[in-house]
Order: sequence, then C-alpha cells, then structure tokens
Amino acid sequence: MSFLDVWYLIIGNPVLNVLIALSHLLSGSFGLAIIALTIIVRLISWPLTKRQLKSSKALQDMQPKIQELQKKYGKNKQKLQQETMKLYKEAGVNPLGCLWPMLVQLPIWIALYQAIMRALATTPENLLDLAHRLYSWDIVNQAIPLNSHFLWLDLGGSGDFILAIIVGGTMWVQQKMTQAPAVDPGQQSTSRMMLLMMPLMFGFITLMVPSGLALYWAVSNIIGIITQYFFTGGWGYLKFRSPFQSKQ
Amino acid sequence: MKQPKILFLIVIALLPLTLVSCISGGARLAKGWSGTAVHDGIAYVGTVDGRVVAINSSTENLEWSYSTAQVNAPSSGLSCGQTSIPTAIYGTPVVDRDIVYIGTYSGQVLALNMLARSQNLTFPQQRYGEWEWDCPIDNAKSNAIVADLLVREDAIYVSSSNGRVYSLDKEFGDLNWESKVLDETHRKLWTSPVIPGDTLYVSTFDGHIYALSLETGELLDWSFESAAGFASSPVIYEDTIFLGSFDRYLYAVKIGSDVPIWKFPQEKPAGNWFWASPIVNEGIVYAGCLDGRVYAIEAKTGGNLWEFDAGNPIVSSPVLMDNLLIVTDESGTVYVFDLSAELEDEAMPLKAISIGADVRSSFCAQEGLVYIRGEDNQLYVVDINMGGVSWKVNLTIEE
Repeated sequence: MSFLDVWYLIIGNPVLNVLIALSHLLSGSFGLAIIALTIIVRLISWPLTKRQLKSSKALQDMQPKIQELQKKYGKNKQKLQQETMKLYKEAGVNPLGCLWPMLVQLPIWIALYQAIMRALATTPENLLDLAHRLYSWDIVNQAIPLNSHFLWLDLGGSGDFILAIIVGGTMWVQQKMTQAPAVDPGQQSTSRMMLLMMPLMFGFITLMVPSGLALYWAVSNIIGIITQYFFTGGWGYLKFRSPFQSKQ
Repeated sequence: MKQPKILFLIVIALLPLTLVSCISGGARLAKGWSGTAVHDGIAYVGTVDGRVVAINSSTENLEWSYSTAQVNAPSSGLSCGQTSIPTAIYGTPVVDRDIVYIGTYSGQVLALNMLARSQNLTFPQQRYGEWEWDCPIDNAKSNAIVADLLVREDAIYVSSSNGRVYSLDKEFGDLNWESKVLDETHRKLWTSPVIPGDTLYVSTFDGHIYALSLETGELLDWSFESAAGFASSPVIYEDTIFLGSFDRYLYAVKIGSDVPIWKFPQEKPAGNWFWASPIVNEGIVYAGCLDGRVYAIEAKTGGNLWEFDAGNPIVSSPVLMDNLLIVTDESGTVYVFDLSAELEDEAMPLKAISIGADVRSSFCAQEGLVYIRGEDNQLYVVDINMGGVSWKVNLTIEE
C-alpha cells in the first residue's frame, strides 16, 4: 500500500464523504457543508486551541513584567532576550504556540482542497473518479452531483478579491489578537513582517485555490476570533501598542 | 536563537505554498474519451490530442486527420499563466453520408467533409458542406459538449454544459432552436438526448427527464422527477425510458407517468452508479454498472435474470452484434455473451479478451470486429472469432 493509498484511506476519502454527506443534510448546500466541516474541525482541535488560548492569555498577563524587563535591559538586547525567554519558560508559555493549531490543520487543508476539487467534479474524469471514492452510504450518493454555488461564490473556481480580503483581513485580526508584541526592536520587525506576511500570503493564495478552501480559511479565522474574544475576555493584543512603537 | 526563528517563520509562511503547488490529487484536466464509429470500412475516433482521425480498417492506415483548435487552460501549480492544451473530445463521431459530426469540450460542433479532410483543405470548406458552430457560454461556467451528438433527418441535437439543448440545421449549422436552461443547479448536460418519435427526451444531473418539442424545443407537459440525479443517457424501448442514476439504481419510467415502473436492484442499491447507458434487446435490459457487474433485467418487471461480475467497473455502454452482447470493463477486458443461449448459459461469457489498456470510451462492433479506443490513445480492433486483438494503431502523432 503506497503512501497515497494510506492518505486517501485515512484522511482524503473520509473528508470527501463527510463533506458530501453534510451537503446532503444541509439542503444540498456545499458552502454550508464546508462551514459545518470547519466547525467540526475546530471542535476536534479544541484541546489544542484551548492550550494555545491559555498560552496567549498568559502572555497577555505577563506584559507588565515584560515591559519591566524592557525598561531594565532595553540597551542590552541579548540580555533582554535571555530574560524574556526565561520568563516565558518559567510561565510555561511558547510565544509561537499560536502557529501549532495551523500546522495541525494542514493535513485537513490538503484533504479539503482535494475533496472540493473531487466533489465538485468539474470534468467528466473527475466525476467518474469520484464514483470510486464514495462510500456506499445513501446520503452520499443521493447528494451527487453537487451544487458548486454558494452566495456569490463558485466554490470550485478560484477565489475573488472580496474573499481574498476577507481571508487576509480575518487572519490579520486573529493573529494580531494572539501574537505577543516583540521584546526588542529587532524582533519587532520580524514579528511585524510575520503579522503581515501570512495574511497577505493567504489572501494571494485565495485568488488561486478553489473558493471552497478559502471559505474554510475565512470561517476558521472568524471562529478563531470569536473563541479568542470570549476565552481571553477581549481583543487581546489587537489594541495593544508596543512600547517600541511609542518611542518611534 | 534569532536565525532559527526566522527560518521557522519562513517555513510556516511557505506551507500554504506547498499546499497548492505540491498536491495534485484534486483536479484532473479534461482529456476526453471519444468513442469510435465505423462507416463503410473506415473507423472514426477522437484522440486525446484533440484530433478527429479516420482509419481505414482494411489497410489499417490513416485516411485523414483533423486537429481541432487548441484551448487555453490555467497552468498547473502557482503559475498565473495560461497554457495551450488540445481540446478534449468525449463524444463519438457521427457519420452521415460524407460528413462526420463531432462535438468538442471547447463547445464547438464541427461538420467535417471526408473528401475535404483527406485533401487537408483549410477548414471549413463550405462548398463541401463543412461548418462549425460555437455554443454560447450563456452565463454558465462552460459551454463544453460532453454528450454524443444526435443526428436525425435534417437536424443535429446538442446537449451543452450551459444547461441547454440546441437544434442545428444539419446542412449549414444554423441554429433551429435552443431549449430553456434545463438544469439551473448544475447546468451540465452531459447526457445525450433521445428521440423516439416527434419528441426529444433528455435527462439531467438534478434528477429530471424532460420532454421537448422536436419542432420548437419548448418543454412539453410531461416531465419526470427523481430524488437523485441521472448519471446515464436515457434509452427508450416501447414507451419506457431506462436510465441509470447516481443513487445506484437503474430506473424504468413509463413516458407520461410520475412514478417509475421499477427501480433495479429491487432490494438494496447496486454497488455503484449505473454510469453507462443500458441497451434493450427483446424485452431484456442489459446494464453495466460501475460496481463491475453486468445485469440482465426483465424490461417489464425489473426482475434480475442474471448477472455477471467482471471485477472491474463498467464505464462503456454494452453493444449488440447479431446475437452477441459485447461488454468491456475499465481494465480493458472485452466480454462476449451469447444471447441465443439458454438463459442460465447466457450469463457466462463465451470469451474474455484483454486488450491490455484501460477503456472508458464508447466502442462499436461490426462484422465480428470490435473497435475500441484505449486510454493509451490507441485504437484496438478485436476479432471476436480469433479471440484476440487483430490489429491496433497508435493515434498519437509521432513528434
């Protein structure tokens, strides 16, 4: 059995069939099925998200201490970094922890990308191939072929600028809420670059991948923002201004 | 510490790129699976490189070849550019006197004159009766023609991926009429229409059978609605329409009735879709299924007379030749059933001949020979009496 066979057996085909079954349950709306799947994925990954949110909250609570360190070691960058990392370690916090849920979701993204392309069957070959990947559930077979239209989107076609802005914008807000400010000016530029680079990258990729996948990203980001808001009790670092910014 | 962190950030940022560029398991380009037609000893077939070719079955030589227009398609991966690819051909060429009609995935219907093509004259030669017709996209995603064309008397009937059926004048390619959009949800009309008298019947992916006036294309009073979409083109036998559905049943619908006469299998659904159109002979429906089985079903009752497990999906419609039923499975095995035998013996194939290539296209059988285009873009001619491939010809142009 090749890696691809194992991939389709464990992840690819289950995601495809669940997505199609959801579509049938939700009045044949493939868009609603993607949203429902996003909620399911977020629920499954909740333990990981919870850890990340705790970490984020801890980082927020640590800000006064970090600012103290910045005042104390502001001129000695190496020492400042060492002390800050020490503080993180003592509190059991990983400042890059927010990226792990994203990494964990990567196989889901790949499976979803494949599932959308296969399920919407834009070519006769796709439709015929789909027959070999479906489970014998009635709910799945009765949903075929799927309706690719949702709101203004063609879920099998590339995303448009509106969707790209929604994906990039929601990602920026979510990251800004969770990303702790940098402890020194050098790190700050990396942090700022990262804060901008990811949303821009995803916004750009939205224009190239099926809008169904971009819809998943947008909904996932919005769920992330809502969860973050209620779990940490506010907008987190969204309103936070770095001390280095005030100096500049 | 700083350098590994930046590296980590770059890797994270590049992950979405790998997502798009490294995985290709989703979409497949339309390559086509044109069927084969034989007329006056010449085999006509569409190729994967977008040509219509005529092969002399006596000499096994190429009589003529016509390249359809290339189409632009998005480049693979993250490239934003476009690339030229051959037009896919799914339909089977239809031969009527000295003209070969074919529909293409780029939405064209071509009328090719045999003489003009054998002289390689510029297309279209109107004095030879050649023409081309471009199907409008009509606010749909595509105007692709996937289904076989239906040629009857003075008109050609075309199902389009824009959701409409068109009637064209056979001689000049002028539009006679266009139907309303029959499937607003999917638009794709990938099944061929059928005309038993003065009415045209067409099935849709949203589970309808519509009856259209042959004169005007207007919808007639009767239509049939099913919960699941129809996968195969309809076949009509004695006022009953037989067709396969995505819910893994074969339906028998009496024209004028709102409920099916029967659904097959009667207890639980088959193992997969009835993708290929069935054929009916002397009150028996022969249907190939993607679950790998060939079913013989009593047309009136839907009773299972016999079934044969080929072991591989059956994508192409079965064909009758004299008293023989010819079935091919997707792996390229040709099964020959003797319909003149006793019913219990009928289920056992007389012969099973492998051509050594996958088969998804329609095939035809004449005078003991079966003409099949393999997925390897070769035309195979199987001699039933000999029990093997008599000859084959590579349809790919050597660079």
